[in-house]
Amino acid sequence: MTTTTTHRPGTATARRSLSRSSRLHRPSGLPWILPAMIVSVGLLYYCIFYTGYISTLEWDGAAPLQENVGLANYAKMVQDSVFWRSLAHTVVFFVATFVVQVALGLVFACLLHSRLYLKTLYKVLIFIPVVLATATVAPVFRQIYAPDGTLNTILRAVGLDALAQPWLASGTMALIIVISVQIWQSTGVVFVLYYAAIGQIEHSIIEAARIDGAGDFRIIASIIWPGVRGTTLAIGILSAIGSLKTFDIPFLITGGGPSYATEFLGTLIYRVSITFSEVGYGAAISIVLLALAIGAAIIINTGGRRGESNV
Amino acid sequence: MFRIRSRIAQGVVLGVASVLALAGCAGGNNSSSSSDGGSATSGTVNWWSWTPDNDLAAREIAEFNKQYPDIEVIYKKVPIDNYAAVLKPALASDAGPDVYTVNASGSFSGEAFASYAYDLTPDMEKLLGADWKSKVYDGGVKAFTVKDRLVAAEWAKVGAGIMWINKDMFDKYGVKPPTTMAEWESVCKTFRSKDLGCFREGMSGTAGFVVDTLHSIADSTQPDLWSSALAGTAKWTDPGMVQTLETLRTLSKNGILDEGSVGIQQYPDVNNAFLSGKVPMVQMGTWYQQYATVNSLTAALAGAGVPADTPKITIIPIPFPDVAGKGNPSTMYADPDAGHSVNAKSKNRNAAITFALWMGGTKEGQQVVVNNMDSFATLNGITPQFDKIKLVNPTVQQPKLEEVTKRLGEAKDFRSLGMSAQVSQALIDASQAMVNSDKPAAEAAADIQAAADAK
Repeated sequence: MTTTTTHRPGTATARRSLSRSSRLHRPSGLPWILPAMIVSVGLLYYCIFYTGYISTLEWDGAAPLQENVGLANYAKMVQDSVFWRSLAHTVVFFVATFVVQVALGLVFACLLHSRLYLKTLYKVLIFIPVVLATATVAPVFRQIYAPDGTLNTILRAVGLDALAQPWLASGTMALIIVISVQIWQSTGVVFVLYYAAIGQIEHSIIEAARIDGAGDFRIIASIIWPGVRGTTLAIGILSAIGSLKTFDIPFLITGGGPSYATEFLGTLIYRVSITFSEVGYGAAISIVLLALAIGAAIIINTGGRRGESNV
Repeated sequence: MFRIRSRIAQGVVLGVASVLALAGCAGGNNSSSSSDGGSATSGTVNWWSWTPDNDLAAREIAEFNKQYPDIEVIYKKVPIDNYAAVLKPALASDAGPDVYTVNASGSFSGEAFASYAYDLTPDMEKLLGADWKSKVYDGGVKAFTVKDRLVAAEWAKVGAGIMWINKDMFDKYGVKPPTTMAEWESVCKTFRSKDLGCFREGMSGTAGFVVDTLHSIADSTQPDLWSSALAGTAKWTDPGMVQTLETLRTLSKNGILDEGSVGIQQYPDVNNAFLSGKVPMVQMGTWYQQYATVNSLTAALAGAGVPADTPKITIIPIPFPDVAGKGNPSTMYADPDAGHSVNAKSKNRNAAITFALWMGGTKEGQQVVVNNMDSFATLNGITPQFDKIKLVNPTVQQPKLEEVTKRLGEAKDFRSLGMSAQVSQALIDASQAMVNSDKPAAEAAADIQAAADAK
């Protein structure tokens, strides 16, 4: 006996036709986002391509005369020792700020997820530096580290005269100071991100671990740290891009000195574009900075995904 | 079908509207100036500059308004280190100042911003006559004429090559102003034994005040070498220049130059330390004589956060010591420090021209500038009226200030005219290397020459 499956005639057709019909009736969103897209994406890419064009010019940024020099600005950059030093400072800056901020941010977040009095006050204290403008705090740090500034005054007062020194006059110390100010100012953001991420971890997992006898460090290492991996990846990308863009702290505190010891790509671009009026050369460095930022984001993202798939 | 065409049409219309909106947001045609420039005796003129201080500018504007009460001048002081960065985008837009001050050289020179400036030649001829060039400082004519266009009207001349001392501190510890390297070392030893600084200089930043120190040392070592190197007729690698750099290192090693100079800025760090009586010696130019007056010193101390009842220090200029020990006389060198450019796009161009030319081209304008004591006149025959100026200690200060006025009139070398921003930076880099590293002076000199050759 054969069975036949019957269906109402035209049902599948009716469903397909209904689906197509509903698509036809659903209004397209494209016309409505087009203006915003044109402004944001259009302006952004216009600026990028225009900067790329300027990077092929020898131009002071004001004169009507612009001389096309092709890739000469890029060749100059390759031979510029200050450019390579700036890049090295950026790498050191990224590694130091990323490692310390992650460590501090995670520790603060873990502590503030535990039983603690005055939690809100601690959160505010940790986050306050984030909202302070660099232009406001920079003179304070310059005064602290001045030869007759607060730090040296305290050191002399407690009998540690031998340690008192002109902190900003030493290349190594100046770089450490710039890094420390960045860490002081941005750890609050890292803390907030980790605080939210830890809040997403299943509490039952942590409870189970405690029942099994796991201590605090074990829980952090084996449950929390893997659990906030995505946040760490995001912080890594943001830190890398932020390090490449670093300008305000070294500019306002050390001016890129002494002797370019705290020169970063941002301060170098400013110096060559504004002080030297070599806008074409500054544009070439800007394009390289953009390429490095995109490259860093891809590498960190790919590395992170590979790590996830290995787990 | 109709709906699809309708959606495409919507997208096209919205896209075109967006592009038109973006085009509308773009700047208009910046190449032409405004049509008639408005009235020459009324209107609002926005004036941007790094100099003078606000209180001095207020006096100058008040004097201007005695003659032109219907022109409102609004002054905006921009820190010198940021001036070029702030001015460039402002002038490129339609919201720039009507009058902007420019320097003789460097990143905010008359030449750097010439393309935005209105040609003031006809107006200057109208004011001072066809022979106007003979009535003003020739350095300013040279600095502010670009391709036969007068792009700025000079109004201030400055000199350098002198030092300023806190006379009260010298008197307190019984030391005389040094005239040789050995005397300088001895003076600094005395001050340091009292836990004070001695000669403080800020080498951080791009303002380059240390270049004056190098210039003075070079003049002590081998007169005319500096000006020849600037002109390209001598090399920065000349043995005299190498010795100049080594002498700077000696100043640091022998306890004359205060420690940490590469980490501090001349303004505000050194300026505040000197005016509040913490260091006895600085090297500043003639613009510093304004702080010999009660009003300017009071304003400066207030700006530095020093209590109002702090005793006012007596500052006097002294010649730069003969550090090379060759008996060469201490020199002064001068520059046109400032000129007023008129923004060709200014809507109140005619009122702006009136103000721009008034400060440097009239006796009234120049007298108030000179009596403010931070600049010298560029118009011939104008000198400070000391009977109208309230000095902190006139008995001590006036003779010294009159001597500086005389010496400046005899100065033949330029201070920075003809110096590119790259050479200036190379000189700053070399100075920092001399006091903060073991880099050989010959190597530092070669870097300066390389910067000069690159231009």
